[in-house]
Order: sequence, then structure tokens, then C-alpha cells
Amino acid sequence: MHRTDDILHTVRMLQQENLDLRTVTMGINLLDCAGRDSAVVTKAVRAKIKRKAGNLVRICDQLTTKYGLPIINKRIAVSPASQLLEGHTPEAALGLAHALDQAAAEVGVDLIGGFTALVHKGMTPGERLLIESLPQVLSQTQRLCASVNIGTTKAGINVDAILLVSETLLKIAEATKQAHGFGCAKLVVFANAAEDNPFMAGAFLGAGEPECVINVGVSGPGVVKRAIERLVEQYPRCTLDEIAEEVKHTAFRVTRTGELIGREVAEMLGMQFGVLDLSLAPTPRVGDSVGEIYQAMGVKVIGAPGTTAAVALLNDAVKKGGAFASSSVGGLSGAFIPVMEDHVLAKAVADGTLTLEKLEAMTAVCSVGLDMILVPGDISSVTLSGIIMDEAAIGIYNQKTTAVRLIPAPGKKVGERIDFGGLFGSGTVIPVNNSSGSADFVRHGGHIPAPIQSLRN
Amino acid sequence: MDHRYVLSILIADRVGILSAITSGVTDLGANIEGISQTVVQGYFTVIMTVAFPQAVGEEAIRCAIQNRFHKDEASVLVRPYTPRSCVPCDGGRYILTMSGKDRPGILKALTGYLAEKKINVEDLFFRIVGEQVTHIGEVTVPAHLDLKQVQDELRAVMAPFALVIGLQHENLFRATNEVGSIRRLLKP
Repeated sequence: MHRTDDILHTVRMLQQENLDLRTVTMGINLLDCAGRDSAVVTKAVRAKIKRKAGNLVRICDQLTTKYGLPIINKRIAVSPASQLLEGHTPEAALGLAHALDQAAAEVGVDLIGGFTALVHKGMTPGERLLIESLPQVLSQTQRLCASVNIGTTKAGINVDAILLVSETLLKIAEATKQAHGFGCAKLVVFANAAEDNPFMAGAFLGAGEPECVINVGVSGPGVVKRAIERLVEQYPRCTLDEIAEEVKHTAFRVTRTGELIGREVAEMLGMQFGVLDLSLAPTPRVGDSVGEIYQAMGVKVIGAPGTTAAVALLNDAVKKGGAFASSSVGGLSGAFIPVMEDHVLAKAVADGTLTLEKLEAMTAVCSVGLDMILVPGDISSVTLSGIIMDEAAIGIYNQKTTAVRLIPAPGKKVGERIDFGGLFGSGTVIPVNNSSGSADFVRHGGHIPAPIQSLRN
Repeated sequence: MDHRYVLSILIADRVGILSAITSGVTDLGANIEGISQTVVQGYFTVIMTVAFPQAVGEEAIRCAIQNRFHKDEASVLVRPYTPRSCVPCDGGRYILTMSGKDRPGILKALTGYLAEKKINVEDLFFRIVGEQVTHIGEVTVPAHLDLKQVQDELRAVMAPFALVIGLQHENLFRATNEVGSIRRLLKP
């Protein structure tokens, strides 16, 4: 027999606090589609995706009915596409991108990730080809997402790759000028990329992963926010460790819904269940914001001193609750701070209380990095490289994932506003201070050696 | 061979009722095999099954319980226990929740629809706070029914009452409120 209060608690999370399963992401290894003939490769890619993921959306919809828990996005993450491009031409890269995009449309998923190159230690011709194709690819496809891993704690930071990616970012922005550089929102530059991350735009199927796997991403910032609000209403003098405890218990409940659905989807599809990623991933909706959580904790002005500590508390409590809830927690699992996708963070940037420097500090203790941030359209590639290097350094020296998803908005200056619509949200162009002050350092290029922490054997 | 009976007792709630009932039947030689008790708005009710090693008359059992209470304090019903096959339950266990403004007719409409669809109700209760009522039921939805259709029809039937209605598989509630392995929840 179920306890009444337990039932009502669960119902409240669903009906009033926006609990949902943010994504069910099917990982598909495409290596067996490799070949010399690009037409054969693209045909094999489309056929395999259709064969493996043809029932994904239908089964997710069935489980949404069964549990009353919305599964917002159904997605696919493929093995790094650069591995299919060795020895091929730019035309083949574009053809592969279109094939992936069309396959995603055919099976009804909204995004497909894995147009990816892992170049943290060096770059193959296929990986260079993939990166150089991105302006065309991201301006001509709708569902395809790309990522580049430019560093790891074990390998250090590939600065040459960062310089290339930064130049490419500006070209992508230019190629998608009509959409204010939207193509850049579909490219994530990682350090220590997670190979089982189900969230876009950075999802791809890593080398150690199974042939096919179901990974799920659960969210629920609204649930966490309301839990804290209730605690503070009931105990106005509660301490921060009591807030952390409340977050932990809430994260436990949220995580368990993800594992329940993920395992059932995997079983129905006859696939292995991989990980569930408990990340507080906001959407632009009111009540679905990570910034609102910080406000509920007492940080009324996002960016004020104490904000980084609030992020650290939240990120850590989420991980602890998730780790107790399931042995299958993976991916990024923590708190995201995608500025444009969170109305509170976006407003803080517009108000000038949240700066790029403060965001960078917050990324040292959040689960990802500088995410969905508009920068001036006239920013130089060297400045972009410097930002990416800083963010990579935070990740690599702290042995965590960091990522950069910056959007140089063509023709836009600091303070101008852009609206991408939908889940990508809207935002204000943020100032980049001292933008050319480190150009000589960045232009040295080469490789920043792996930190001493990497020598663990 | 044991002689089994099923008992039902209704009485205004106070401390010591269950002690009086269990003493009454135990002193008569019974072993209590099943029991479920609840209190609704100040009224205590219990249903129990008991077994005696030798035949005991229904009236004797009733008197053994009745004698533990004041005259006319308790209503006691005693019947011989007849083993019955369980209600067919080839289906999934779901939690039904309905909340909104209380008004007459809600339960009649709900149970009428559930009976028509052969959806068995295993547990049903509601809580009223002010004018707001929250119903919670545990039901078994036969496997051959289309769940989406049941949800849609239920909402249509209950639409005149303007309630927020949910019909969700019980595993969701177990997952969010229990600490056991999810893998075990999913095993039949």
C-alpha cells in the first residue's frame, strides 16, 4: 500500500513543478558503416539509424502514457562522425551530415548528435575535414549537432585545435548570419567530454560504449526550487547544510524516475541501458529555471558574491542524491547554466549583474561550462580561443568536463538582444573585457601539457 | 480441519477497540489470519478472517465480541468464510488521483466507469480540506485495455466535475518513494 503523502508528493512534482524526462537518447555506433564510397556510407548510415531507432519515439510515447511523465525529447547520439570521414572529401562530409539529418527526421527525433571530432591530443585528416565542414554543415542541416573535444586531463590542451575551432566558429556565425549565428548553438567545444552524455548539443557515443545503448537525461529544476522554497517557508532560519540535504533528497526522487523510464525503454527496444544523467537543465519557461533555484536559496541577484558557492552547493547535492538513487548515474550530472535557456540567468546578463568572468568562476563548480552565451559579432578568433583555453584549463586541472557554447552574433554589439525561440531561448550580447590582451599568448599555439594530476599510474 | 469465519465490526472510534475485538475472538480459541482496519471521520471499521480448530457458531463469535462493548456500541457481522477465487487481475496496477472541488456524484461517476471497464478497485479513499477533495485509488487495469483510451474516457466521464485526474502506473510512485533497486521494480 502506498502512503497518501508519497503519492501526492509525486503527483505534485509532475503537475505543478515541471518534472519531466528531458531526453531519452539512443546511442548508435556507426563504425560498421565506414567505407571508401561515400554514397555507400551515407546509405548505410541512414539504414542503420532507421533500423535501430525506428521505434524509439513510439515507445517513449507509450511510456509517457503509462507513467504520466512527459518525455520531452527523443534523440540520437552516434559515434564520432569523423571516424567515417577518413580519406574522404569535403563533399562527402556534407553528404554524411545531410544523411544524419535526414535519418533523424525519418525516425522523428528532434536532434541528432555526434558530428564530432576528438582532437585533444592531435588531429587526423578526417577530424580536420569535419571541423572545416562545420560552417556548411550547421547552416544546411536542422537537427544535426556537433562537438569537438580539444583537451583532456590525460592529454592536456590542443591549442592548435582551439585556434582552428575558433576560426570555424566565426565562419559558422557568418554562414548562419540570417539566424543571428544560430549555427554556433549547435556546436559544443569540450574538455574532458563525457562519452555517455545524453544532452544536446554535446551528445555523442564514445569509443568504450556499446553498439547501441539508451541513455536518459532527467531534469527538474522546478522541483528542486519548490523543495527549497517549502523548506525556507517552513524554517526561515534553516542552514545551508539543511538546504543541501533537501536538494539531495529531491535529486534522489528525480533520478529514480529517469532510471525507471530508461530501463523500460531499453528493455522494450532490446538494448542495453547505459546511464541516467541527472542534470538540472533549464528551459526558458518560468518555473523551469536553475537561476530560480539560486534565488530560492537566497541569491536574489545572480552574479552577486556567493553565487559561485550556491552553484557548488547545488551541483554537489544533486550528484550525491543521484549517486544514492542509482548505480547508473553518468554523463554530466549536475547543474547546467546555459544562459540563453534560463530566463533568470539571461536577465542577469541583461542587467549586467552576471558577467562573463563570474560565469567562468561558476563553471569551475557546475557540471558543464560557458553555455549559450552571446558575444559581440566582431570578436576575434584569438579572443574566442582565449576563452576556450581558460574554460578548458578549468576542466582539465579540476578533472571535470567543461564546455564552451558561444554564439558570436554577426553585426550585434554588447547589450543587443537576440531571440532564437523555443528551447534555445533568448539573450543579450555580453561584454568580453580585455579581449585582445592575451593574443600573443594564444598565438603561440601548440599544446599545453597534461597537468601533473594526469600522472596517476 | 480449521473452521474459518470473516468478521466485520463498525464502531465509533476510541482507544482500545482492537484490543477488545482480538481478545474476544482469541479467548474463544481463534487464530487471526487476516486483518485490515481504518478510521473514517471518527468511525472505526475492521475486517478480519479468523480460524477455529473446532466448529463455533456464528452467534457465539458475535456475542464474544459484542460482550466486550457497551450495549449497541458495536455493529458486528459474522459469516462463514468461503474461499473465493481472486478478482481477475491480469493487468497493471495503477494509481488513480483526482483533485478539485468536492461535490456529490463524483464517486458514482468514477466507479460506474471503472466497473463498466472491469477495472478493479483495490483501495480507494479521499481527503477533504475545505472545499477541496483529493481522491486516491489503487486499481488494476486489465491488460487488454488501451491505456490511453481509458485515460481519455475517464477524463471525459469526469469532465463535469472539473477535477485534475491522473492514472499512472504504480511503479512511478514506488520509484520515487522507495529505496530499493529499480531493476527489481521492473521484474514481474
